[in-house]
Amino acid sequence: MAGIRIALAGNPNSGKTTLFNALTGTQQFVGNWPGVTVEKKEGKVRGQKDVNVTDLPGIYSLSPYTLEEVVARNYLIDERPDVILNIVDATNLERNLYLTTQLAELGIPMVIALNMMDLVRKNGDQINTKELSRQLGCPIVEISALKGDGVDEAVKACVSVAGGKMMPQHSFSGAVDHALAHIEEVAVHDLPEERQRWYAIKLFERDEKVLEKLNLSQSVRDHIEKDIQAAEKELDDDAESIITNERYVYIGGLMKGCYKKKNKGQMTASDKIDRVVTNRWLALPIFALVMYLVYALAMGAPIGDGGISLGTFLTDWTNDVFGGWLTDGSRSVMESLGAAEWLTGLVSDGIFAGVGAVLGFVPQMLVLFLLLCILEDCGYMARIAFIMDRIFRRFGLSGKSFIPMLVGTGCGVPGVMASRTIENERDRRMTIMTTCFIPCGAKLPIIGLIAGALFGGATWVATSAYFIGVAAIVISGIMLKKTKMFAGDPAPFVMELPAYHVPSVGNVLRGTWERGWSFIKRAGTVILISSIVLWFLQGYGSVNGKFGNVEELYEDETVATEEYKEAKAEQMGVPVEELSPMDDSVLADIATPVSTIFKPLGFGSWRPTVATVTGLIAKENVVGTFGVLYNYEAETEDDELDEEGSQIWTNVEDDFNKISGGYGKLAAFSFMLFNLLCAPCFAAMGAIKREMNNAKWTWFAIGYMCVFAYAIALIVWQLGRLFAGAPQIVGLIFALAVLAFMLYMVFRPYKEATKLASR
Amino acid sequence: MLTWLQANLVNIVIIAIILLVCYFVIRGMIRDRKAGKSSCGGNCSGCSGCGGSCGTV
Repeated sequence: MAGIRIALAGNPNSGKTTLFNALTGTQQFVGNWPGVTVEKKEGKVRGQKDVNVTDLPGIYSLSPYTLEEVVARNYLIDERPDVILNIVDATNLERNLYLTTQLAELGIPMVIALNMMDLVRKNGDQINTKELSRQLGCPIVEISALKGDGVDEAVKACVSVAGGKMMPQHSFSGAVDHALAHIEEVAVHDLPEERQRWYAIKLFERDEKVLEKLNLSQSVRDHIEKDIQAAEKELDDDAESIITNERYVYIGGLMKGCYKKKNKGQMTASDKIDRVVTNRWLALPIFALVMYLVYALAMGAPIGDGGISLGTFLTDWTNDVFGGWLTDGSRSVMESLGAAEWLTGLVSDGIFAGVGAVLGFVPQMLVLFLLLCILEDCGYMARIAFIMDRIFRRFGLSGKSFIPMLVGTGCGVPGVMASRTIENERDRRMTIMTTCFIPCGAKLPIIGLIAGALFGGATWVATSAYFIGVAAIVISGIMLKKTKMFAGDPAPFVMELPAYHVPSVGNVLRGTWERGWSFIKRAGTVILISSIVLWFLQGYGSVNGKFGNVEELYEDETVATEEYKEAKAEQMGVPVEELSPMDDSVLADIATPVSTIFKPLGFGSWRPTVATVTGLIAKENVVGTFGVLYNYEAETEDDELDEEGSQIWTNVEDDFNKISGGYGKLAAFSFMLFNLLCAPCFAAMGAIKREMNNAKWTWFAIGYMCVFAYAIALIVWQLGRLFAGAPQIVGLIFALAVLAFMLYMVFRPYKEATKLASR
Repeated sequence: MLTWLQANLVNIVIIAIILLVCYFVIRGMIRDRKAGKSSCGGNCSGCSGCGGSCGTV
């Protein structure tokens, strides 16, 4: 049989994407929370060239209420696949069969794949698949998508029934069936027999989209309406509820005859764990502890140095390799080949230093992604959304806004796009604006660099970055919800919590590798090109009116005269001995005026300014830029260098101490906060533009992020200086004013809530 | 000319390699962009948000 099209349909988190991967051999992202697939995906079944499979988004019904339902329903009705492979979570049989009864009415041949049968057996429950198959009128195959059991049998069953017809087996009560028969006769009689039932039911439910599609005359509509009203009167309910109730009565009958639960009414292992993990009082401390451990293991103090971080332990080594050995090694090779000095500089101080500075953080990233993937796969991440919903709801937000945030820990782009699942336009816009506050993978090297170079790898730095991101989302949400633009009740958040299970090694490793590989790939592309451009811009410039290589011009005392140096040092506000040739580069000339903006934040110098701006290309470019701009010979002793880490790290620490008047740590923390919270990279900005679909909202979102980041960095730096006993009076006044405004916005009552209460 | 080439052969070869690498990198980035692939570090091809729109399967 040529060109069979299988549509994979089922409830959210029933294992469709896992089955899709098992069927096609592809590696689509599998998330252990509902809503991973928003759009359909297509692939070919392994070993069967002519069998195509389409993975549809997870849905609970064929009603057009959500984006996922619209995508799935349109595909099934308009494209009419040859067979539907309905994946049913056997551990939640009753609820999953609700969709099955609707799919069975489409008239498309169907095969049911009872997934997670291994868990059903483990629980001691029994499903009489033969009887269920007889009653539903379609083949049923027992499978475990995760283990790959029964997958081939499911494909065989699909191939055997493909292209045929399927007639719905179940009937409704007399009054409903009577109305449906009338509707079929009057409105859909011209359609093929097997399709009439589904259309009749949708017309009975007064489905606007179906009414529009069938383009019925007013007289036919009136006729139908009479039949519907008669049924509603007889059953004393509205049409949609009648159909829903009757489906559950039918499913209840099926369950009685086909399903035996061993421990009826008893709590499962997942229920027992959830009693603790999602407990009203314990949930948040447990979440905080889990995330602390995750960041401590990935980015905290290294093993052997009083910490537990494997990531930092390995990163120390890779930083030595990329930041030291490869840079020095490439210089030696270039020199031995007799390459020009500038070319040697470009390769070793530009390309290797820039790209190497980013790649050095790969181990930390991999460990972090591995741990996050484990939390996702075992089912804990879904609980976090549930826990956060409880907290968010108090502030007028929905837990739905937390799902994009979970996705955003990998990358802001899919995080922003995940906001599509939020139906409420105001909540969706607000989620888009705040999702990028969470540290994505590309921001991790910034955290790693600041934590490593300035804070000796202290665990609290990385952990605080995550929690500051969460706090920024919550605070922004509270403030924005109190404005006219975003006011309104939070959208309802219904989420099925998947059963806990041991993470699949394949899923976890695949997820970790995919995220890590994208990062490595970018280091070899965007960061590479950026490093080359930066190296030229920082190496060339005008000294005393003469353009050329600034290092060489500084060595020429006839060009870089003492008077010139003194004037330049005065202009920059630094002692002459701290003047660097790079301060006369094209890059410094461009960035120095801009750096004034960041003076109230503690890092108003051209190097951090350039890093902040180049971070807009890709966030890890901040570190790549540091790699190029801070890769000069240290003024410190070599012994000190060896103890402190790489040359770059030492120079970063020195420069931050210089530009902040001795408060390097505070300035670096302020720099990190600004770069974590300000406008995301161009790719994420593009995603924001696409999702907002409005230039005004796009600029508002980007502007809000920048202003919020500036406000937080200003407060941290200025209050930090105050507590350190060295306040900057003007800046402090502004910081206190900003803080007061934010506190006012956070604590002022909801205007809309008061109105609602008074009604 | 030949003398100059001989004297600068190493530099020419290294520059050529760098230019070639840059050419392929930029070409790849443009192709990815045209194909709708994002340059972000996340797993776009199978992400929850963009699914089919980011160049899947």
